[in-house]
Amino acid sequence: MTGSMFDRMIRIDVGKRESTLWTVPDDLRSYLGGIGYGVKLLCAEVDPRIDPLSPDNKIILTVGPLTGTSAPMHAQSCIVTKSPLTGTILNSYAGGFLGPEIKFCGLDGIIFEGAAAEWSLVLIDNEGVRFEPAADIVGKTTGEAEAYIKDNYGHDYRTLSIGPAGERAVAMASVFSETRAFGRGGAGAVLGSKRIKAIGIRGTGAVTTADPARFRELTARNMDVLREARVDEYGLVGIFSKFGTGGGMSLVQGHGALPTKNHTYGSFDGAETIDGPFFEENLYTRRIACFGCPIHCGRIHTFSAADGNELWSRGPEYETMFSLGSNLLNGDAATLAEANRLTEQYGVDSLTVGVTIAWAFEMAEAGKLNVPGLDLGFGNAQAVLGLIHMICMREGIGDMLANGPRQAALELGNGSIGRAMQVKNSGFAAWMPRRMKGTGLAYATSNRGACHKRAPIGAEIAGALDMDSYEGKAAVVIETQNTVNAIFTLISCRFHEFVTDHEIYPKLLAAATGRSASWDEMVTLGERIWNLEKLFNLKAGLTRDDDRLPGKCYEPVLGKTSQSAVMDEAKFEAMLDEYYRLRGWNAAGIPGKRRLDELGIGEYAM
Amino acid sequence: MGLVLDVAKCTECKRCMIACSLAKSGAVRMGASRIDIRSSWPKAPEIRVCRFEDCDGHPCIASCPVKAISELDGVVLIDSGACIGCGACEASCPYQAITIENGTALKCDLCGGDPACVKECVTGAIRNREVAD
Repeated sequence: MTGSMFDRMIRIDVGKRESTLWTVPDDLRSYLGGIGYGVKLLCAEVDPRIDPLSPDNKIILTVGPLTGTSAPMHAQSCIVTKSPLTGTILNSYAGGFLGPEIKFCGLDGIIFEGAAAEWSLVLIDNEGVRFEPAADIVGKTTGEAEAYIKDNYGHDYRTLSIGPAGERAVAMASVFSETRAFGRGGAGAVLGSKRIKAIGIRGTGAVTTADPARFRELTARNMDVLREARVDEYGLVGIFSKFGTGGGMSLVQGHGALPTKNHTYGSFDGAETIDGPFFEENLYTRRIACFGCPIHCGRIHTFSAADGNELWSRGPEYETMFSLGSNLLNGDAATLAEANRLTEQYGVDSLTVGVTIAWAFEMAEAGKLNVPGLDLGFGNAQAVLGLIHMICMREGIGDMLANGPRQAALELGNGSIGRAMQVKNSGFAAWMPRRMKGTGLAYATSNRGACHKRAPIGAEIAGALDMDSYEGKAAVVIETQNTVNAIFTLISCRFHEFVTDHEIYPKLLAAATGRSASWDEMVTLGERIWNLEKLFNLKAGLTRDDDRLPGKCYEPVLGKTSQSAVMDEAKFEAMLDEYYRLRGWNAAGIPGKRRLDELGIGEYAM
Repeated sequence: MGLVLDVAKCTECKRCMIACSLAKSGAVRMGASRIDIRSSWPKAPEIRVCRFEDCDGHPCIASCPVKAISELDGVVLIDSGACIGCGACEASCPYQAITIENGTALKCDLCGGDPACVKECVTGAIRNREVAD
């Protein structure tokens, strides 16, 4: 053991009901943790061509060198698996309290392998792993599964669970962890394919650091930075602290970059009644934080459902205000809250499910899709709630939609594919690629499908970069992807990097673990991980076609501020060429042996 | 001396517990913390810590069969050398602010007047009584 790292993971074969402690080998330790451990392990142990819902797939749940320490904004844990939604390698993150609890078990990660014959619960603590039957909670919601573990096995357990969507292999099913979710990419369906309904984790151990005095000093200085950022009403982090992540909606709207009506418009007249300030004023009741975080962007809200019942839930986050709000022309906060609550309880990604519903609405308005008994159309709240239920239960048309927007469009045919706002079958996030060209390239080239976590959103929205320009965006996107992969080895919150100098990361790493990596070396590691992901995807059968945007992006945006904004297809292709070239990849997007050798992963070359 | 609590401001981030366990044990270990944040969504959490000023009669002192608990200038202290870990004080505390770990009773001692938890609480959910007054 070196400081905060235990160099120990546990492998759980859920089919054989066996678990073994596994020492992290030296070559893996150089990947630091988090996404690094997950991607390297999956690439080494899982054939990219497997069916993601077969027992051959693995779920690698990792934490990082700063998880469970006093370093603020390092609460998240990471799941790496092969995604049933995108067919790519997936990395997905959840905050809250799960990550530190894994550390308190004396572990740097947990690997789930195989598949159980019967629905099971897995309970993990410092003593080991046990399996319990899940028959009592099959079919139940994520909230009910969570309560079952706490009521039957102890309230100190931290939980992971899937809802009905994960049980039914809905491609965008999420894994929930109390206030938080591994939202994107369908990890919930993978857990479901292993017949794991829920997991309880309870750790009582300690997390220490290699140089406690130095670590205390660095953490105290970082807390000073965050205390200032927290109350800076002009900074994004300050806005998120005060209003939740929906606090910036009016800013995006002002730039005409708020996707509205399935990305037809760039602004929404109803935004003022669903955004962060509106929720803060009218629905949010409590501010909640992840472990050790002074920013507390999380929220709990209460609302009256259509039947008059008083309900509560977590969030909604900004991305959901788009996906179940503006993008569906839904300007009613109570409907948004109910839709958000349904996605949480059924256990599904509110982003991709909303994008899929938006596509269905556009198809219905074009007369290409008709569902008896359900009036599909933008602004129809009942249709939104009804479709979420049908998708998560795979009922009727929901069975087709449950496979994701791209798959549904392929099934429907009739020219509908270009209206499905997705890349690699993963729905667009709440930022308009036609307004933000770099963000468009980031969606297209993301290894896990349309992804906003590694897009130059801050720079494009705040004006450091001309959002409409194609110039230099390829280099910026590459830098962002490599940088974010670097901090995801430590699983730093994305918002931490908004206000904290990068140089702190190697310093925290060294003080926590005694291991050294310069910031430049960390960014190179980020690039190494990016290339491993890309190679996995290529071997899984993806091509340059999967790095393209849907046809609607090449038509002008309608509406006020964003009138006539458009992505020029030839310029996009040129940007993609430039991106491949700068990465050292050929025109088909295949990484060249030379760059892979320089990165030390030549043996993975195609 | 003492702590003033405002649970409505608590975000349940547990920086107080992190700071307390570091101050008392040198590591982050939730069981070593003398303050405990218990979630109760959607309601505000319960903050379990010694509430000397609010506590009627300080029953922990009388509950101790070996007289290991005493009061000095408004702070209730446990002599860990004398403590036999019987749990009588834990049972007597109306605020559930005492825990037994490894055969010894643990409770907040206000860090000698400069509580580590207060310094980490950014929302003001936990404050020093003197400063708050």
